[in-house]
Amino acid sequence: MRGRVGLRTVLSLSAVLIAAFVAHAAAAASLRVVATTSDLASLARVVAGDLAEVETIVPPAADSEAFEPRPSDLAKLKGAAVVVRVGLGYDHWLDKLLAMHADTAVNRGGAGYVDASVGIPLLEVKGSSLDPAARDGHAHGLANPHYWLDPTNAEAITGGIAEAIMRMAPASSEKIIARRDDFLADLKRRLVAWDRQLAPYRGARLIAYHNTWPYFARRFRLNIVDAIEVKEGVAPSPARLAKLAASMREQGIRVILHEPFEPEEISQLLARRTGAQVIRLAPSVGSVAAASDYRALLDYNVEVLVGALAATTN
Amino acid sequence: MFEDVLAFAALPLAAAIVFTGIHTWFGLHVLRRNVVFADLALAQISALGATVAVVAGHAIQSAAGYGYTLVFTACGALLLTLSRGLARSVRQEAFIGVLYVVATAATVLVVDRSPQGAEHVKKMLVGGILSVSASEVGHFIALYGAIGALHWFIRRPLLAAADGIATSRAAGATVFWDLLFYLSFGVVVTSSVGTAGVLLVFCFLIVPALVGTLFSSRIGVALAIGWLAGAAASAIGIFGSFALDAPTGAVTVLAFAAVLIVAAAVRAFVAAPLDQRRRNRRIGLRTAALIACAVLAVSGLWVVIAPAGDHPVLATIELGVGPERFMTPRERADYLEAASTERRHEGESDRLTGLERRSRWQGEPLGADEVRRIGSMQQTLTEMRRGERFVMDYLRTRARERERWYIGVPLAALGLAGIALVIWRKWQVEKRSAAR
Repeated sequence: MRGRVGLRTVLSLSAVLIAAFVAHAAAAASLRVVATTSDLASLARVVAGDLAEVETIVPPAADSEAFEPRPSDLAKLKGAAVVVRVGLGYDHWLDKLLAMHADTAVNRGGAGYVDASVGIPLLEVKGSSLDPAARDGHAHGLANPHYWLDPTNAEAITGGIAEAIMRMAPASSEKIIARRDDFLADLKRRLVAWDRQLAPYRGARLIAYHNTWPYFARRFRLNIVDAIEVKEGVAPSPARLAKLAASMREQGIRVILHEPFEPEEISQLLARRTGAQVIRLAPSVGSVAAASDYRALLDYNVEVLVGALAATTN
Repeated sequence: MFEDVLAFAALPLAAAIVFTGIHTWFGLHVLRRNVVFADLALAQISALGATVAVVAGHAIQSAAGYGYTLVFTACGALLLTLSRGLARSVRQEAFIGVLYVVATAATVLVVDRSPQGAEHVKKMLVGGILSVSASEVGHFIALYGAIGALHWFIRRPLLAAADGIATSRAAGATVFWDLLFYLSFGVVVTSSVGTAGVLLVFCFLIVPALVGTLFSSRIGVALAIGWLAGAAASAIGIFGSFALDAPTGAVTVLAFAAVLIVAAAVRAFVAAPLDQRRRNRRIGLRTAALIACAVLAVSGLWVVIAPAGDHPVLATIELGVGPERFMTPRERADYLEAASTERRHEGESDRLTGLERRSRWQGEPLGADEVRRIGSMQQTLTEMRRGERFVMDYLRTRARERERWYIGVPLAALGLAGIALVIWRKWQVEKRSAAR
């Protein structure tokens, strides 16, 4: 009697195991990668190709720093093999989602967890611990998080993503490496062209609405003198605007960098007072229609900026 | 610079005065009708209309955008008109509150579908009076002039309707005037909330009207006083936000509150009849003394009970008498050294930030490793500064443990003695008047 039950248990257990193995094999054919932002998703797509399905949590044209996750975002994380995040407190809400999700493979330290900021030469570093008091009510807590806007950082970002996907699908390693190498080579060629386009405007003085552009400015050697918004979401005071207007006239600043989701009135007001031009740059993939993927994002930003700078110098 | 200050202040001030002009009139109505929060409900319903228009793919300033907003506002006006009928069984304000909450929740749900939603909701609340343009101010003057003229011609039936159902002869007529009132109110509030935000519009509406009714029950006089008070509050708020280097909308709201407090004080202590004035002054002085003594007593006791807690009153006193006075020489040396080290680290961190910033466009670019080195230096400096601050906090707490006997106990004693004195005086006065 006992022997028969034992045999049945063994049989059914092995059936379950086989089923699980088959399911796992099927899943390996189509991995799911979840990235917090559209920029990381675009880079993950480049690396993964047809090997994985890539999803984004923050909608492309929204402000990631003010994002509130929804129940459907938790559902997105379910069954994800790799999770890619910006880190540096920029997508701090992911911690809560991951804690609810409780899959150790994609939680901090897991094989499928990628903090894309690892290995990036960070700018405007402030602290090492996530101390809410030191964060100034601002998502730019540990360092400035907009590092993907420097195309040379794509090497480190795609490196982290590629490693994680290869851990999940070791058989496809060679393909992944080849795809990444092709992408980086293409990016390098484009970087030469972007550099050439922006070279005449080296040291050009600009004002930004939000402090989004330090990495972009460092790569293309631009001088972003100041940001209009001092604290996230708090309107600048009129005294600050008067000071900005005075310094813009003094230093001959003719271009204000603006992002699609930011309130435009204040920038327009400053532009009216100083004769400067407000241009809309894309901080992320998808935030304007032309920035459809990572390369198009940089193409778009360089093109718009060059257009504006050429118009103001003539 | 001065020119800029004037240029940035002139238009917002003009807009604020135009808003005060029309809103004081509506505010007096709203106070008479006892529907103080009707403007919030109407503004939120029109915001819902604007949001639906945005999500449907229209710009707010387009004809379709205005259309959506107007239709929603008209529905809101109709609901508010009907709410008068409810007033017999429940309070109208309760219904208006429900209307506001539902409209807000619906806006959040609709906004959730658009990527720039959070920004939109924030803008409805705080507005952007600072960036108002000359053509917008002209538009407001034309619109409010037309509505003001209309209201001038129909002021009698409107006021009769506002004064209640009892005086109205025909219920149908009241409904008509109510609807007209809420419709025009909706148009005004919709246009002003888009520029000044819900918070500030509420101030324009209620505070000048309150100040006016404090001084006169005649609507014409109340209106004139309200206009003066509103214009003064707007000017204080807008120039105050320059002086304080703070956001204009929030400072202006506080300026309106300050004007209301001053007006109430003037009404009670200066403009009241002589015998009342004397009584008011006595009550005012007594209350102020009681509050001041209570604050002293509580903060003195709080220092004695928990010297490591937060002590706003003590911190104010410490501006004159620093905490280092209550330290041993050794502690004082450590405290001052920690303070100077913290400043030195801050300076070093700023120097590195400046160096990296300049290198983005000046001279040879820094390599990735140099940037990393600067980053880790800054990280270390931040942590070291935190350490120095920890030392300072610890030493300050030690000083406050002694301060509680030297400052806390006398403070508490002073406060308690003050309270006892005030009560004793009141008792004496009452005894004397009873004897008389």
